[in-house]
Amino acid sequence: MPLYYYLYDGSFPGLMTAIYQAYYYEHKPNYIISSNKYQPALFAEKVIIKTDMKKFDRVYQAVKKKISNRSLQKIYYAYLSELDDIEMKIYRYLRMGFTIGKKIDGHLSNKLVLKLNKIYNKVSGERHRLLGLLRFRKIAGDIYYAPFEPDHNVITLMAPHFAKRLVDQNWIIHDLKREKAVIYNQQEWVLTDLKKRLDQGRLTAEEIEYQELWRGFFDSVAIENRKNSRLQRQFMPERYWKYLIEKS
Amino acid sequence: MDLLDKLNILSAAAKYDVSCSSSGSKRRNTPGGIGNAAVSGICHSWSDDGRCISLLKILFTNYCIYDCEYCVNRSSNDLPRAAFTPDEVVNLTVNFYRRNYIEGLFLSSAVIKSPDYTMELLLQTVRKLREEFKFNGYIHLKAIPGADYSLILAAGRYADRMSVNIELPSQKSLKLLAPQKEMNAIIEPMREIGTMIKNNKEEKNSKKKVLKFVPAGQSTQLIVGASPESDFHILKLSEGLYNKLSMKRVYYSAYVPVNNTPTLPAIKNPPLLREHRLYQADWLLRFYGFNAEELLDNKNPNFDADLDPKANWALNHLEVFPLEINTASYQQLLRIPGLGVKSARRIMSARKTGSIDYDDLKNFGTVLKRARYFITCKGKYYGGIPIREDLIKSRLINGKSETGEQLSLFQEPVGKETRSLAFLESGE
Repeated sequence: MPLYYYLYDGSFPGLMTAIYQAYYYEHKPNYIISSNKYQPALFAEKVIIKTDMKKFDRVYQAVKKKISNRSLQKIYYAYLSELDDIEMKIYRYLRMGFTIGKKIDGHLSNKLVLKLNKIYNKVSGERHRLLGLLRFRKIAGDIYYAPFEPDHNVITLMAPHFAKRLVDQNWIIHDLKREKAVIYNQQEWVLTDLKKRLDQGRLTAEEIEYQELWRGFFDSVAIENRKNSRLQRQFMPERYWKYLIEKS
Repeated sequence: MDLLDKLNILSAAAKYDVSCSSSGSKRRNTPGGIGNAAVSGICHSWSDDGRCISLLKILFTNYCIYDCEYCVNRSSNDLPRAAFTPDEVVNLTVNFYRRNYIEGLFLSSAVIKSPDYTMELLLQTVRKLREEFKFNGYIHLKAIPGADYSLILAAGRYADRMSVNIELPSQKSLKLLAPQKEMNAIIEPMREIGTMIKNNKEEKNSKKKVLKFVPAGQSTQLIVGASPESDFHILKLSEGLYNKLSMKRVYYSAYVPVNNTPTLPAIKNPPLLREHRLYQADWLLRFYGFNAEELLDNKNPNFDADLDPKANWALNHLEVFPLEINTASYQQLLRIPGLGVKSARRIMSARKTGSIDYDDLKNFGTVLKRARYFITCKGKYYGGIPIREDLIKSRLINGKSETGEQLSLFQEPVGKETRSLAFLESGE
């Protein structure tokens, strides 16, 4: 028996196209995988998926109508988790969803639903945590620049929050791990590729002063008698410290 | 004195105020303005004591005319003093905010010259932030007891939350430790603010455009362990504040000895466990439908060190248990030790699609270490021991859990805000 590998371009519309195909193609997928992650395997039968915006839209609308908006959000967040084999989990979850409809999220004891909920919580949890932990540095050219390396691909989930909040600033949020950046020009934000870190050697004098003030505040606000670094690490894991002004 | 020195002095002086919540207010960005307020609240950092930092928490000044014995800023203490100008506070707030260090400002103050003079400075600062800089971030502002109401109420138009700290839980202790303060001078402004909040809400319901007044409600703080009041006394006081003054939050602050005086207890470590128990009980009052008299009484006026308040209550009311998970009401579920609001909601929603067994509960992520002694699933009891007070109690305190790990004192799942306030691993 061959194993069917659906290879897609790694995009969300691509994944939805693959799921569409799975419904109409006689050989169901054993794996759905981004083509740049695929490694030739024994008995593998490749099925190349060509991203098709019409098919994407069909699936998108179907999830909205036949399951729920909440499920749509859930699978999108799950996709952004970039966890191994997340595609098949999403595929199976949607199969179940299309069978039983919007009731699906009440099935809390179902392993599939449970797993997807957990992944959703992970991604939305990281998003929320980073909304607080992201740090902008003012660099030459009157730009507020925030480098970071999130576990999951949350940059586009974070951009709307800052577009609503830091409305009258030019800012860039830069995911150095994925080499992607969101750039905002006081009107709208766009996602783009960006490799090089931009702040080194370009901090303004004003920036250095406020960083010092922030570090001063951070140190003096802690109560000595209650020192508790375990608790601190629990809320603010060390892997995020690299880009925190107060911790680096 | 440069700004960094001032900031160090005036943030260190504000650190004993435990409130740091930035939630409960939805403020939109205004055209040409800076920022907004997220209704969920956002933590921006965690200091070395594990407490969340979401606001720039500072005193306007630590020059004080009062000489309260428990307070680090008392006038007879010899320590470096400083005062900001309104512009300095505004610039710090705006620049920290633009770099995403903070959600907004928490501005308190010692009393310089007079209550009116101090309140006037605070008012100037927040007015400047909101009107000149169009700052829409979160503002928590202290009302200075004894200041003219017109000043306090004017400031309420700019603040998201206001608070007056009670600090000492009785008139008697206040007399002893803060002889220049009056209980009435603290309660009265609270009442005024409370009435304004209520009117503002009603007005909002009937009209479309109404100026906000303290939309995130008012809070207060009590010091625990500086004076002899029992837990029962404190909890009754909180209950009254919630019910009669529609207080949004009461914060408890374990007394940290900052001054050497004979009227204050000599302690080595702040009573953190006691503070934690009060937070647990406070949660039970606000979200679990308990009242103070169910948890404590004159015979047992203090919380058990070994048991959380809900487990303690359950052991004294074993006649109610075990409860069947598939039929118990939401209110009943909330009374099961170890079950939180989240778990109870999940159980209610999962019951709609079918009946629940013990493994399902585990899959939901329900912590069963304590709950198992108080429930049945489809009629079956999983506690493994007879339902007897002494047996269950010893399991809860000393027992090993199913996974063999030692039961922790602090496993009660608590809400977001206490988690950042409760100091879980502190040395007690």
